[in-house]
Amino acid sequence: MGTRIEAACAQAGNGGRKTTARRLADAAATHCLALAGCRPRDVDMLINVGVYREDNMGEPALAALIQEDIGANLGHPPTGGSGTFSFDLLNGACGVITALQIESGLLRSGVIQLGAVVSSDVQPDLEKPAAPFLRPAGGAILLKADDGLAGFTDFYSETFPEYADLFTSGLVWRGRSGHGIRGPRPEAGRNQMVVSVRSGYEARLADCAEETTRRFLRRLGLGIEDIDLLIPAPAAPGFVDPLRTKLGIPGDRVAYTPEDLEEAYTTGPIAALQAAIKSGRLSEAENTLLLAGGSGITIALALYRQTPP
Amino acid sequence: MGETPTKQPNHWLTLQSAGSGGPWGCRIESVGVKVPAQRLTTRDLMSKTSHRTRIQLERLTGIHERHVVGPGEDSFTLATGAARDCLSHSQHQASDIEMLISTSITRSKDGSSQSFEPPLSLYVKQAVGATQAMNFDLSNACAGMLTGVFLLQDLVARGEISCGMVVSGEYISHLSWNAARQIRSLFSKQLASLTLGDAGAAVLVERAPDSSGIEVIGFTTLAEHSRLCLAFPSSLGPGAQMYTKSRTLHKVAIQDMAPLVAETIGAAGIDLGDIDYLIPHQTSARAIRSGTKEFVRQLGTRPKHVVINLEEYGNTSSTTLFVALHKYLEEQKIRKGDRVMLLALASGIEIGIAIFTIDSMADNYGHTH
Repeated sequence: MGTRIEAACAQAGNGGRKTTARRLADAAATHCLALAGCRPRDVDMLINVGVYREDNMGEPALAALIQEDIGANLGHPPTGGSGTFSFDLLNGACGVITALQIESGLLRSGVIQLGAVVSSDVQPDLEKPAAPFLRPAGGAILLKADDGLAGFTDFYSETFPEYADLFTSGLVWRGRSGHGIRGPRPEAGRNQMVVSVRSGYEARLADCAEETTRRFLRRLGLGIEDIDLLIPAPAAPGFVDPLRTKLGIPGDRVAYTPEDLEEAYTTGPIAALQAAIKSGRLSEAENTLLLAGGSGITIALALYRQTPP
Repeated sequence: MGETPTKQPNHWLTLQSAGSGGPWGCRIESVGVKVPAQRLTTRDLMSKTSHRTRIQLERLTGIHERHVVGPGEDSFTLATGAARDCLSHSQHQASDIEMLISTSITRSKDGSSQSFEPPLSLYVKQAVGATQAMNFDLSNACAGMLTGVFLLQDLVARGEISCGMVVSGEYISHLSWNAARQIRSLFSKQLASLTLGDAGAAVLVERAPDSSGIEVIGFTTLAEHSRLCLAFPSSLGPGAQMYTKSRTLHKVAIQDMAPLVAETIGAAGIDLGDIDYLIPHQTSARAIRSGTKEFVRQLGTRPKHVVINLEEYGNTSSTTLFVALHKYLEEQKIRKGDRVMLLALASGIEIGIAIFTIDSMADNYGHTH
């Protein structure tokens, strides 16, 4: 039994005041369900992989709020029926592929029948505002078990911790003290998001992606020439172009992300996948390779096949 | 694009039973903890609130003290210490671990009050020497560690991996200090923050020789209650502030948990009376006792023992279940042959339940290594 991509949807935020990570994810999930002709209550598992939110909420998992917003089996447990299990998975820009790996396994086992992977990010409120490193966007993929299609057959990931410092992010406490009308006020401040992207990050990302891809294909007994379609993320030319050249994959075998979603962050793989579905190239390709690269450096790969090997 | 999938009736929980997902069983092989040496009594904490509260926290919760981090300790060091302790009780080497999942909510590391990227799991696996393991972080509030075990169970059952680790380190006591600045009465939404303590925990699972191991593990998210407990970065100090509608949360949890427990023991083909040790999420002794009473009322039987581990540790967030299991193994209260039920309850509302029988792993606890 294989796992089929039932639908994929990625959409850019409109930049409006009310754009939030939750709303972006809600909209993408709702649209994706409509595309697939599925009801919210059909979703057995909902994994949210977004990283950057306007409020940096620590708990609950944002996935639980998304589940409530889209109306998927809200509870209370009745006698009969089935619920939805939601949680967040964090693996930077590789989160979508990691979540696909988890859900593909549970679909094969029959533990779930319909899985959703949801993503969204908004530009974090940075201490030193620089050029935005992401474009607000939300995405969703629905996965279903399918006897007639191989679908996702193999997953692989590698990390290169020697490059861990090239991309870091986190909240850092910035205290301040001062005086109010009634005298000294207690120290206060904020937990400030600090993102550090060092020069050379994209180039190293491309190097690591090439190395990991070659190792993955070798393990599968495949060559670069067997890959009919490469779906890479991030879509930045500084990553995709050198990667394509290093691997020797012609441009017509690469699914390029539409311009308005080029800087989507965790939604990147879904944006590229959506483009491949819309153009019909995913269903035409015998072997499709999804590739994501992110902090760590982490490279995640997934092979999607039309027919079993 | 396709027809609506057919749902399995009568399973509210997303459920895995031994042998259902593949040919292999998945057993808990070892657990480990890292608890900071420094302690903070409830009396000390309550004496430092900004306002005179008159809250008798120890009487209400059963928490006498909690461990809190000292200089140089954070979520990362607690997680790494717990992973090392887990390996010291294990037959496995770090190099055997094929997947490592970190489920810390707090994720503090090297001066960062909450790290986002790279995932904390990357640093933990490097620190313990599980360099070849696949890794990712998972965030599911206090149900994080059991969620990690749920995911590993499927990978082990299908034969994709044969050994995996779930680890968490929670430096969460800063929520108590942030709450202590604002709390005025028993009705404060930050009251639950005063119950928190710091700890790290790790659990290693491996392929069982047949379909033995974890008998049943199930999870669900009762999302209509997703906003009953919310935590955000604080503007008062490092870390977060947490706002909980404790009474509603407790009421809903008690009401909804019993049918889910019934579903799980039904899937295992047992009775609640067959459970030797029920280890619930550790919030307050009163809540655990009244919850157990409701189970007994609805299900007709009671587990032989209900573990309350709050007096020394408080609520250690995502690590509570495995901190309690470790303590009871070390004290040789839980022994080989005992059937254990882990019951996770977390913001979301997330409810997770696992049933397994303690096997030879008990031999590795209760004496000096």
